[in-house]
Amino acid sequence: MPHIPILNDGTPLSELINHDTREVAMRTLSDEQIYQVEMKKIFAKTWVFLGHETEIPNSGDFLVRDMGSDSVLVTRDKDGDIHVALNVCPHRGMKISTHDSGNTPIHTCIYHGWAFKPNGDFVGAPADKECMHGKMMTKQQLGLKKARVAEYGGLIFATWNIEGPSFEEFLGDAKWYFDTLWCRTIEGMEVLGPPQRFVIRANWKTACEQSASDGFHTMTLHRWLGEVGPYAKKPDEEGKGGDLSPEMYGSEVWTDHGHTMRCIDLDRKIRRITGKDPSALSAREKLELLPPPGITPEMVPQLLERFSDEQLELMSWRPPQVGNFFPNGLFEFIYLPQPDGTVVGAMALHAYIPKGPDKLEFVNWILAEKDTPPELKAKMLRQSVQLLGTSGMVEQDDSDTWPHQTIVAKGAMSADITLKYQACYETKPPSWPGPGHVGDGFTKDDTQWQWWQYWYELMTA
Amino acid sequence: MTHADDNATALAAAELKTLLEPTPLPMLDTSKRISAADPLHTELMEFLVDEAEMLDNLQFKAWGATLAEDLEYNAPLRRTRTTRQQDQTVVRTVQHLHEDFGSMQLRIMRVADTTSAWGEDPPSRTRRFISNIRAYRTEQANEYLVRSYELVTRSRFDFDDFDLIPCERYDILRRDGVSFKLARREILLDQVVVGTPNLGIFL
Ligand code: FES
Ligand SMILES: [Fe+2]
Repeated sequence: MPHIPILNDGTPLSELINHDTREVAMRTLSDEQIYQVEMKKIFAKTWVFLGHETEIPNSGDFLVRDMGSDSVLVTRDKDGDIHVALNVCPHRGMKISTHDSGNTPIHTCIYHGWAFKPNGDFVGAPADKECMHGKMMTKQQLGLKKARVAEYGGLIFATWNIEGPSFEEFLGDAKWYFDTLWCRTIEGMEVLGPPQRFVIRANWKTACEQSASDGFHTMTLHRWLGEVGPYAKKPDEEGKGGDLSPEMYGSEVWTDHGHTMRCIDLDRKIRRITGKDPSALSAREKLELLPPPGITPEMVPQLLERFSDEQLELMSWRPPQVGNFFPNGLFEFIYLPQPDGTVVGAMALHAYIPKGPDKLEFVNWILAEKDTPPELKAKMLRQSVQLLGTSGMVEQDDSDTWPHQTIVAKGAMSADITLKYQACYETKPPSWPGPGHVGDGFTKDDTQWQWWQYWYELMTA
Repeated sequence: MTHADDNATALAAAELKTLLEPTPLPMLDTSKRISAADPLHTELMEFLVDEAEMLDNLQFKAWGATLAEDLEYNAPLRRTRTTRQQDQTVVRTVQHLHEDFGSMQLRIMRVADTTSAWGEDPPSRTRRFISNIRAYRTEQANEYLVRSYELVTRSRFDFDDFDLIPCERYDILRRDGVSFKLARREILLDQVVVGTPNLGIFL
C-alpha cells in the first residue's frame, strides 16, 4: 500500500509527479516539508555512501561524516572492523566529535565526560563509582545509536534500516557494472587525500538528479570544453569547433534502485590514439592500448583474471564513465586527452550532502588504484583538481546553476513548472553484455527519470 | 607483517606524499625581514595591490602575464584539530587548487577566450582586500618571500549576500625588470568547508 505524503496546503505528493508525461513539479526542489520527509524516508532508509576505508587505515582512526541530516562517526576498531554510529551523545545531546577526522581509542564527550568505544558501546562516565548515568538504564542501553555498515570495493556505506535489504540487493543490477569500477585489482583503491568540501546554496536534488547521468548538459553548460584547451575540437575534425555532440553517443544504463551510468563509446578515442580499427581488436588489446583510468597496460592481466568476457567487453568498448549511486553519490572514471596525445585518467567520487532544503555540501574524493604507479597517481590528482570539485573548470559551471533552480522553485507560478524527462530511448544496443535497462545511441532522459521514480517509490513507501 | 615490511610501506607512503604534494615552501628567515620603511617593501606591496586591481577588473590576460613559467599555485585543504595538533590542519595532497603555469593559462583562456564559462559568466563582482604584508629576502638574490592577508568579497547575480573568502597567502615574487613575476603562491583558506560554490575566481 503506497503511503502518499500530504503537504500542508493539502497537495498530495502524487500530484507533483506525472508518470505518464514524465514530469516533476519544481516545488519538489525547495519545499521544506518534502525535505523533512526525504530525510526520514530516503536518507534514513537507503544505504548512504560515507567514505573510503583507506581514510581510516589504523585502529582508532575516525571520520565525522553526514548521513542525510545526521552527523555520524565512522570508526575503525582494534580488530580492524569499521563501525558507523550517530555522532550524538546519548546523555544530553552534545556532538561527540567536533573534528572532521582523527584518531582515538575512546571517544569522550567533552560536556560531561561520557566515554564510548569506536563501535559506539558506552564505556562509562567519570567517577564511575558514583554511577553518573543513574540506575534506570543499563550501560548497554546507553551506547551511541549504531548504523548497519557495508563495505564494497573499499567504499563505506551505512543505513539505519537495520532489517532492510542487503547492500547487494540495494545495488541490484548495477553491481555487475560497479564491480568493473570498484573491484578491479587485488590491492584495491585508495584515496589520494581527504576530500574537498564546499557549500552550494542549492537543494540536494538539483545536483543528484543531474548526477543520474544527465548527458545533454555537457554540450551546453560545459560547452567551453569544445572551445579551448586539450579537449577543443579542431575545426577539421568530426563535429564542428565547439561541438561536443560526438561525445554523446554510447549506451546508458539505469537500474531499479536509481543507480545509473553513461557508458560512453571508446571506439573514436582508440582510433584516434592508435590509428587502429577497434572492431579488429580483442578486448585485451583494447584494454592494453587504452587502459581504464588508473590502470596501466601492466595491470591489465588483473582485469582479465577478475572479469567475465562480457564485463571485459563492456570495459574495452563502452565503460561506465560517469554515473551515480542513489541517493546522493556521483562517480567519474574519465579518460582525459593530454596535449602530448596520451590519455590520463581521473577517478572521483562526490557526495552531495543535504543541508536543508536550500543548501548542499559538495564532498569530493579523488582516488587511484593502490597499484597505480606513483607518478601516474600524481598526474591523475592534478587532472582531477583542475577539472572537478572546488575549482574544477568543468564542475564550476554545475555549482553555479543549481542555486538558480532552487531559488526559482519558490515562485508561486514557478513551483508548478515541471522538470521534464521526455526524451526516451527507442533502441537498445543490438547486443549488450550486461543486465539492467539499456538504451543505445545519443544520450536521453531515461536514467534521470528512473532516479525520480525510485525517489517517488521511497517517498511513498 | 615483519618490521622490514612496515618500513617499506612507510617509505612508499612518504615517497607518494612527496609526489602528490607541491614542492615544499621555502623556509622563511625572520632575520631577512624587509622593513616596511624600505622602498623595496613598497614595490612588493604595489605588485600585490596592482594584481588585485587587475583581477577585480577582469583583466585576466594582463594578470596571466605576471605569472612565472615555473609557477606553482596551490590552495591546500584545511582540517579542524585541537590546539596541540595544529600541524595537522593543512593538507597538501588533495588541495582545492593544484596548478602550474600551463593549467593557470588554461583557466585564464577559459574565462577570457570562451563565450561559455558559465560558472563566471556573468562574472562575480569581487574586491580583493590585501593587508598585513610581511616581506623577506631569500637565498635567491632576486626572489622575495611575501606573506599577506587577503579578504575577497564576491557578489553574484542579484544575490543580496556576499561570499567571503578570507585567506593568508605565501608568495614568492621574482624580480623582473621594473616589476616582479609571481613564482609561487600558496593560499591558505580559513574554512574547512569552503563557503562559496566554486573557486572559479583567482585568489
Ligand atoms: S552530553 Fe555528553 S556527557 Fe553529557
Ligand atoms: Fe556537469
